[in-house]
Amino acid sequence: MPRKKVILAASFGIVFAYCAVALLAPVIAPYDPHAITGAPLSPPDKDHLLGTNDLAQDVFSGLIWGTRATLLLGFIGAAIAVAIGTAAGIVSGYYGGLIDEAVMRLLDVAMTIPIFPLLLILTTFFRPGIYLIAVLMGLLGSFQGVRVIRSQVLSLAVADFVVGTRALGAGDGYIMARHILPGVLPLAGVKFVTSAQHFMLIGIGLGFLGITDPSVVDWGQMINRASQNGAMVLGLWWWLIPPGLAVTLISLALAWLGYACEDEINPRLRVMRI
Amino acid sequence: MNGIYLLKRLATSFAAFCIAVTIMFALLRLMPGDYITMYLESIYRYAPPDVVETFNRVYGLDRPILEQYFTYLLDAFRGNWGYSFIYKVPVLTVIGEKLVWTLIILLPATILATLAGIGIGAYSGWRRGSKADVGLLNGMIFIRAIPSYWLALMILIIFAYYLNLFPLGGYVDTSALATGIDPFDVANHAVLPILTLFLFSVTGTYYLMRNSMLMTAGEDYITTARAKGLDELTILRKHALKNAMLPMVTLITLECAGMITGSIFVETIFSWPGLGMLTYKALAARDLPLLQGILLIDTLFVIAANIAADLIYPLVDPRVQVGDDA
Repeated sequence: MPRKKVILAASFGIVFAYCAVALLAPVIAPYDPHAITGAPLSPPDKDHLLGTNDLAQDVFSGLIWGTRATLLLGFIGAAIAVAIGTAAGIVSGYYGGLIDEAVMRLLDVAMTIPIFPLLLILTTFFRPGIYLIAVLMGLLGSFQGVRVIRSQVLSLAVADFVVGTRALGAGDGYIMARHILPGVLPLAGVKFVTSAQHFMLIGIGLGFLGITDPSVVDWGQMINRASQNGAMVLGLWWWLIPPGLAVTLISLALAWLGYACEDEINPRLRVMRI
Repeated sequence: MNGIYLLKRLATSFAAFCIAVTIMFALLRLMPGDYITMYLESIYRYAPPDVVETFNRVYGLDRPILEQYFTYLLDAFRGNWGYSFIYKVPVLTVIGEKLVWTLIILLPATILATLAGIGIGAYSGWRRGSKADVGLLNGMIFIRAIPSYWLALMILIIFAYYLNLFPLGGYVDTSALATGIDPFDVANHAVLPILTLFLFSVTGTYYLMRNSMLMTAGEDYITTARAKGLDELTILRKHALKNAMLPMVTLITLECAGMITGSIFVETIFSWPGLGMLTYKALAARDLPLLQGILLIDTLFVIAANIAADLIYPLVDPRVQVGDDA
């Protein structure tokens, strides 16, 4: 399926390109994103590839530096969410019984409380910083992965190789780490990709709603500032459009990556060919 | 309906509500300094100790923390959710006013998105692998990947600003000041927010329905129906569609929380005076009691959606007694 391979390669390429830009931000960006450089609201020219905003800051430099915040939010949040979700799913599914019941009931309760408003309250209450937001998103988002992992573990826990290992005298911890975990890693990987996408959108959304660290450049704040200051009505496209396109592109790449991986590991969905 | 299951559902809902209230209580107590000292110092630069003591006694703030907590919890159930900092009225009053406006755009968007998502998803899943299916799937993945706030901005720019088809924001024309609120005018203002929420939600329903249809289409009874010589349309209508729709009831309620998130961004961008816009204002003013009230009402919203799904499920599928792990 060459078409699927092309999409997959493109998605990987985009994600790697974003990572490279984030790492090399000081080299690529021509200006300090907070510095005043030339005239405010000037259209793109050769000094300012994407013009300047109302504070005469270079939009292109802001865009480059903003990559860091986006990737940190997405990947740290997803790493925490997947680690907790996978651990809880494995323990719950492996031991079963009372532990399983307790985890499941806890999950029922947690899933009833809408995560986003809760996230808004917590980030407003604590001083919003990029790491804090990432950690909070990871903690609150960890509930969603548990069920999927658990149902996979349920079937792994009674598999012959697990029973055999136990007969050899292996402890529960060893079995869970060496025999159960590898079995759920593909699922956890898909969850990581989709969570990262989700958290990037949410994290930038928080910036858009005005709850982030103002000293960190992020695309949400850029979009918010542009739309609040009439970039749309004044036709200042270079201020409003680039950050939105940047989010959409990385989100799309991760979404396609996620669907492609899901397609690969879920045999019942394999009939669908992207 | 299964009694134990109902009990479980009620207990879960009750616990969720209590936890939401407890978070509020904890946060309010974690705030630095005590309320009255901060307040007096901000006005008079000095807080007389006897005034502080009287205030604390009158409002019960000198009681043991556990007693305060239970009073707070009980009050939350009685509908006393505190006072908003910015509006200076009970939180529940503000929320009640705004809730109506949110429902005006949320209900049509949800209903349309559910119907369209199920219809298109079923078609896509039934015709799996065809050009139409691949196109629809990729299109839906594309729309889903666009952040809702960005989608709202683009729709606003294209349809309201450049094409000038709909108003730029708000909920009524300024002429309403003289003539009163005209339902058609409100509807005109609601079109773009509804469209955005619809696009935001339809992709999720589509994807779930398509997956469900893929599973159903592989079942043996579909092959049997085909072997009997039934035409495709009858198989789809009588056998596949009905069965594929069953899991949708529960899955759609899961989308409810997503709709709340979406409405916050959509209302903010379209200046629609509902709960989402209220959230934005409360955030800007750091109005903690109001934010907490919004969290509580959102929690109640999800609980209501869950219970609705429980009630609808047996109607859709008479085989299922609610409580079987369906």
